[in-house]
Amino acid sequence: MLKRKGKRLAFSIVFLTLGFLLSFSYSITKDQFSQDGQGHAAVSQYSAQEKQVRKELLQIQQRNLELQDHLYKNQDIIREFEQKLSDENDLSSLTEQAERYRLILGKVAVEGPGVEVTLKDGQYDPAILNINDYIVHEHHIFNVMNELYIAGAEAISINGQRISHDSYIVCNGPVITIDDVQYPAPFVISAIGDGEVLAAALNITGGIKDQLVNDHIIFTLEKKALLTMDPIIGGL
Amino acid sequence: MWLPILGLLIGIFLGLITDLSIPEQYSNYLSIAVLAALDTLFGGIRAHLQNVYDDNVFISGFFFNIALAASLAFLGVHLGVDLYLAAIFAFGVRLFQNIAVIRRILLVQWSEKKKSTKLADK
Repeated sequence: MLKRKGKRLAFSIVFLTLGFLLSFSYSITKDQFSQDGQGHAAVSQYSAQEKQVRKELLQIQQRNLELQDHLYKNQDIIREFEQKLSDENDLSSLTEQAERYRLILGKVAVEGPGVEVTLKDGQYDPAILNINDYIVHEHHIFNVMNELYIAGAEAISINGQRISHDSYIVCNGPVITIDDVQYPAPFVISAIGDGEVLAAALNITGGIKDQLVNDHIIFTLEKKALLTMDPIIGGL
Repeated sequence: MWLPILGLLIGIFLGLITDLSIPEQYSNYLSIAVLAALDTLFGGIRAHLQNVYDDNVFISGFFFNIALAASLAFLGVHLGVDLYLAAIFAFGVRLFQNIAVIRRILLVQWSEKKKSTKLADK
């Protein structure tokens, strides 16, 4: 009788172990599937999450646009107010100054005649071993920009990104980073100012254009009757 | 008879409520242990049907097989040889064989029973 009882106990332990092993491995497998992203349920969960995040992004972008619009309107109101003030109190020189400084800071949208310079990487030439010899570098852009400023450009933008007094341009391999935004070639440098003067300044013999062509860069210059530039958002 | 069933239920319950998570590299050991346990269980049923069943063989085999399989997998991991595959293969083949034998024995028993009832009817 005692022996039978012992056997029974041993059997219970055997079945307890069996049940434990089976259910434990079942629950672990379930856990792993939901963590791995291998299981179907996990995948749909992730895609739902992605959808949610995308939706949020869209909402934020929409809100951003609205706020931008609001900002532009407010800036216009401020300028109108300044105009009125200067008319009433004869402070036109101050208003002019403010406007000029805003232009330099890139705080207002500007439009006017100007030139558009496009810098493209040169054609691949097997004879030139070093790639760096025919792609656009930041110093090329700097040279063009400086020449334009010297020739009296009032506002400059590169690929639509307005350049302000504290913009930076960094060469990042094949792309160029302008104020934290990366742009690939070709680079379109737009400048507002006297188109004739700007074009002449770039075309001086031995000037910027010749240097760029020497560096195997495809340089195109276009005079524009009307260029529009967006103001810079954010910053001081 | 109810004690083993109670044990089984308690075991399943414990396994489900245990919120342990084991590292991924140890999940192999667990799967092998499960396979070994199932193999021994079906081996026991077969032995019972063939009237060669022995309690001690079954109980010792159950735990010994689990331990052996896990240690084999452990050794394989440390030697860089996938020895757990050998264990899975061996246990898998034996599992199928055991189930096949059980099925045949049950079929023979069933057909004999049918025959005997037919004879009795006549």
